[in-house]
Amino acid sequence: MNTRRQFLRSSTALIALPFLESFGFRRFAAAAAPATPPKRLIFLGMGYGVTKETWYPDVKQTGSDYVLPPGLAPLARHKADFTVIQGLSNRYSEDAHTGSTFWLTGANSHEGGASFRNTISADQVAAAAFGKETRFASLQLNGSDKDLSGPGHGTGLSLAWDNRGKPIAGLNSPLALFHRLFSPEQLPLDQLRLRMAQKRSLLDAVLTEAQDLQRGLAKNDIEKLDEYFQGIREIEQRLAKDETWQSAPKPTAPLAQPPDNRSGTDEIRLMYDLMVAALQTDSTRVLTFRLPIASLLTSLGVKVAAHDMSHYSPGERMEASQKRDAAHTELLAHLLDKLKGVPQPDGSRLFDHTTVVFGSNLSHVHTLTNCPTLIAGGGAGIQLGQHLVVSKDTPLCNAWLSLLQGSGVPVERHGDSSGPLKELFA
Amino acid sequence: MRILPSHLLALLSVALVSPECNLLALPAENAPKAVLDAKHLALLKDHCHACHNADKQKGKFRIDDLSLELADARTAERWKKVLASLNAGEMPPEDEKQPSKEAKADFLDDLAKTLVVAQRNLNDSRGVVTMRRLNRREYANTLEALFGMRPAVDELPSDTGANHFDTAGSSLLMSGDQFDQYLELGRAAVAEAFERHDHAGTVKTKRIEAETGVLEAVAKSVKERTEGRRNFMLWKHAVDAAAARPENRAAVEALRKELKDVHEATYHRWDKVPGAPSPAKYGFTDAFHALHVGQGQWAQVPYQAWFLSMPENRTGTWLTIGDVFVRPYFSFNLDGWPAGDYVVRLRVAASDKVDARRRFLEFGTGAGNPFNHDSRHAVTGTLESPQIIEIPITLHPSGSRSFFVRERGTHDADANPPKRFGIGQQETGVGPDFAIWLDYVEAERLPAKPAAPGMQAIASVLGDAKTVVTPEDLRKALDAFCVEAFRGKHPSAAFLDRLQAIYADHRQHTGNHRTALKETLALTLASPRFLYLNEPQAAGILPAVAKAERSGNLGAEELAIRLSYFLWGAPPDAELRTAAASGALHDPEGLQKQTDRLLADPRAQGWIRPFLHQWLRMERLDFFRFNGNRYPFFDVSAKEAARTEVFETFAYLLRENRSIGELLRADSVVVDSLLANYYGIEGVSGDGFRPVKLPDGSPRGGLLGMAAILAMGSNGEHTNPVERGAWVLRKLLNDPPAPAPANVPQLTRLQDKLITTRERLTLHQEQPQCASCHRRIDPIGFGLENFDAAGQWRTEDSYERAGLGRKTWQIEPAGAFHNGPAFQDYQELRELIFARTEAFARGFSTALLEYALGHSAGFTDEPLIDHMVAQSRARGFQIRHFVHALVGSKEFQSK
Repeated sequence: MNTRRQFLRSSTALIALPFLESFGFRRFAAAAAPATPPKRLIFLGMGYGVTKETWYPDVKQTGSDYVLPPGLAPLARHKADFTVIQGLSNRYSEDAHTGSTFWLTGANSHEGGASFRNTISADQVAAAAFGKETRFASLQLNGSDKDLSGPGHGTGLSLAWDNRGKPIAGLNSPLALFHRLFSPEQLPLDQLRLRMAQKRSLLDAVLTEAQDLQRGLAKNDIEKLDEYFQGIREIEQRLAKDETWQSAPKPTAPLAQPPDNRSGTDEIRLMYDLMVAALQTDSTRVLTFRLPIASLLTSLGVKVAAHDMSHYSPGERMEASQKRDAAHTELLAHLLDKLKGVPQPDGSRLFDHTTVVFGSNLSHVHTLTNCPTLIAGGGAGIQLGQHLVVSKDTPLCNAWLSLLQGSGVPVERHGDSSGPLKELFA
Repeated sequence: MRILPSHLLALLSVALVSPECNLLALPAENAPKAVLDAKHLALLKDHCHACHNADKQKGKFRIDDLSLELADARTAERWKKVLASLNAGEMPPEDEKQPSKEAKADFLDDLAKTLVVAQRNLNDSRGVVTMRRLNRREYANTLEALFGMRPAVDELPSDTGANHFDTAGSSLLMSGDQFDQYLELGRAAVAEAFERHDHAGTVKTKRIEAETGVLEAVAKSVKERTEGRRNFMLWKHAVDAAAARPENRAAVEALRKELKDVHEATYHRWDKVPGAPSPAKYGFTDAFHALHVGQGQWAQVPYQAWFLSMPENRTGTWLTIGDVFVRPYFSFNLDGWPAGDYVVRLRVAASDKVDARRRFLEFGTGAGNPFNHDSRHAVTGTLESPQIIEIPITLHPSGSRSFFVRERGTHDADANPPKRFGIGQQETGVGPDFAIWLDYVEAERLPAKPAAPGMQAIASVLGDAKTVVTPEDLRKALDAFCVEAFRGKHPSAAFLDRLQAIYADHRQHTGNHRTALKETLALTLASPRFLYLNEPQAAGILPAVAKAERSGNLGAEELAIRLSYFLWGAPPDAELRTAAASGALHDPEGLQKQTDRLLADPRAQGWIRPFLHQWLRMERLDFFRFNGNRYPFFDVSAKEAARTEVFETFAYLLRENRSIGELLRADSVVVDSLLANYYGIEGVSGDGFRPVKLPDGSPRGGLLGMAAILAMGSNGEHTNPVERGAWVLRKLLNDPPAPAPANVPQLTRLQDKLITTRERLTLHQEQPQCASCHRRIDPIGFGLENFDAAGQWRTEDSYERAGLGRKTWQIEPAGAFHNGPAFQDYQELRELIFARTEAFARGFSTALLEYALGHSAGFTDEPLIDHMVAQSRARGFQIRHFVHALVGSKEFQSK
């Protein structure tokens, strides 16, 4: 394998050497649970914004003494365990149909004259810090809607964007997630090794070809081709990680295999249960879920199409929007129940070490300011039970920065952040 | 009062780069400067400087030292803040002296425009065409050219974006996940090509008589429903009898009071009526079920009886309206048939008794799919003389093998079928008269086409699973395949070595020649020479350094590739490659000849459709579902026909080399019979789009008369004059208002006021920050108000609000361009727009350049745009001259 490594090292300065300490590296979740439960992060992106009139608390009631608006009412039993923030936005966001593309990145899509670019999402920053410990550095999940990357969520393959601003693919069903987490590899170890070796020789071959092509190219073309090299490198790294874990058995599933082809509320509930199971078995510590939209509405018996719903005005469309809000809030309450129900070795609850974020880059209709932001859980040590109203146009990335720092990720900035949100730690 | 939050802020955050960024952060030499008129200094001095100067710097912000020239990103960013706080109404503070409305609106207008110029300068690509990967449609087209069949590529990202064409190299990203997808798609494509090859000699035919099993099924249903009705009536009488007992009077009254909104309360809550029997005793699961069977289903029995009485149902079947039982759709399947090309034949007839709008059928794949169909067809056959409709289809190795035939619009969004049924019920008292009769459906496998280049290349080593090939033969075949896949380029010897090793490895481990070959070929389709449109300098002539200076012209092969991906979205065919090899493309006449040939080829749809779709922002057509109650005949079929009209009109103008001005005003339309019928144009029958002369005074002709364009300016319920006006400014007049702002509170018609649309919108212009854009946009939108949301002509509009009633008003289209000429009605508006054909030509040229060269047009591109407009102006703006001017330019022909 030496040639490929050398090649990666020398072909372009922008490619760092894949860090392969892995062969001797053995630290499996099964081995020994760490003494202090680790920090975890969950991001739930809903795409289109909420119903402004009924989701946001009254801005005049801040602190812990506020009335839960109807859209959040199903969370009443958890009121002391989550905080709602108003006033956050991504200042570069401009596309009013894009609730997820820049939600966790805060990127200026046009920086440097690009017509589209993105930057790393907050979950991936956390994954880079926590991922070495677990079988999966992070898991990306998507609702099963056919075209989830259209209006609502916007461009992307999941909520996650890698450190080069490239979209990261996700799993599209609870069943797929279950298999990824718990189903043992079908192939015996030697077959697995063969498959990896074969994959590596595929990569070697295309790298040879890319290297040959590169010789004739101009500088800006070489930069473009670099994306290709980078893509290959990602796969390399993934293979290296798989290699580290392939001889360790997957954990026993703490829940039954979910049925196939569920959509809407059923699908979300199943996904939430599996997300808890993923954390519980320490298979990963970072999860994102790009929630379904159209199939959620269908499962609620709503006949209004998703985009029509987002353009709500009093009547059928607004009712649809509110029904959707209520469903999300109920499901979220279920997720928090579950997290509270999982004990940790030190006697605390999984909930106490997890941060759950629910929100979108769109606040309502076509508005990109005051992004709905709800944070629950004790993972980042923020003050819970609050309704915070921060000054208008505070970077949403300040919230992500706070959560990352609070979870022990050593970062000083994220996206367009100007500093952590002091209010969260008051 | 503050209506608007900082809505212009977001939109202009577009591309102002951070100062430390790259080379492009400074404008190109000689670019027009982004400078604010000095006349605004007075306003700034009077209203801003006092607080935002060197000493005070309120909000840590100075304006007094802000340069009027927006020469760099930092200055532009600061001006953006100014714009944002003015737009938001935050500045000047409420208790300070305010500028006059007019001065403020003018300043905002100027500032927004200057920021757009600054952005354009900062984004200028300096004419550099960067290597890019194939976008999704090009990838599919390229595989089709290689294998002679079109693969499904839905898993790939679509590559289209809000502000750029899908040819914009900087937006065409690549990731590890995507590489894996290419590998998978490549395997699937090769597997499909193999399957087709192996079945080249297979013969398949099947015919299903449409009446098979239908009458029996309907008769059975009638019998069951009659029985259900009898049981229901028995239960109903028993409940009624219990409810009528004097001792139950109080209970029943309480129940009715409690459930005052529920019709038939005593049946729904029979358990609250003492002595009433359970519906379970009568065979129903619950009361809801009983009512559904005994009333809902029973109501359809007369319709079923009518169906049974129709003699034509003994030799074929009448299609019925969906959701309403008889037979929801006709479906047949070709289970187990191998991948390949087939033809489906339908023998059909239409009733002459029904509305002409109903004499169309929809055909499609996947019997369960309610909304979309694959094709629609006019039914011109009669019961006396039915017609046969032939529909080509392709079967893939996996995917649905079920097909449906149904009357148009009868399985659309929820509102349509019941509405259609209701219309028919009003007419006949029973249900809609039967419109389309189906005799049989037949499918037949088509003979195999000659092998496509990719398959030819490997023909000698295809063999079967057990075949053994020599390394020499294999290498030769792989090399030939790579030449096809790499658009004429040979792979490196090292790559061939690797491919052979991979083949050998897989051959050894699987024992299967085909599997090993598939893996090897699939890898070729994920390698960079296939995935990237790479344009290296002619080998060995120039060192890589010199190319950074953009000194060289494209080689002949690269030019051929650029040309065919521009005009077909697909690789060059053999003829173009031959022409390139002969040097003909470097001769202006030879280039023109090939360009004309490419434009005349059906593959030019690979340019026309994606280009028009993206240029005109036609994705909006799919943003909203049309309300079936309001627009029962703007169904999916009509919408698709309307969409196609845009493409076919352009294709016609291109074919005939007519003026681009005919997109603004024309005396004919290009329609099929479905759309002609929608527009009320007589004398068009059968399938296929064709030019049709318009009657005098018709509002049709040109983009503005097209249902698709008008529907894009609506939300599926009501028109959106702002959207329409802004679209006209952007796409027709090349005078774009600032990009569509986010954060605009929409004009929800929620105010409890019965006022006209115009009154409602005019309220917006009270605020200077709103007026600065709306005074330009809205008058044009009002001028189009005679077209309803679905593009039909109307003379009045109305607004209804529960509790308030309804207001109806006459459309008043009269208005004037901002600081421009006035118009009395739509026709005059159209004339004024037509008079600006040159502006339209300029916008078209700009879009064409951006699409072809894959970057947004900057100052550097202006000379070429000038040239394209001048070249075509000299020839009456004939469409092909735009293309020739672009293709013949130095910019198109160089890196």
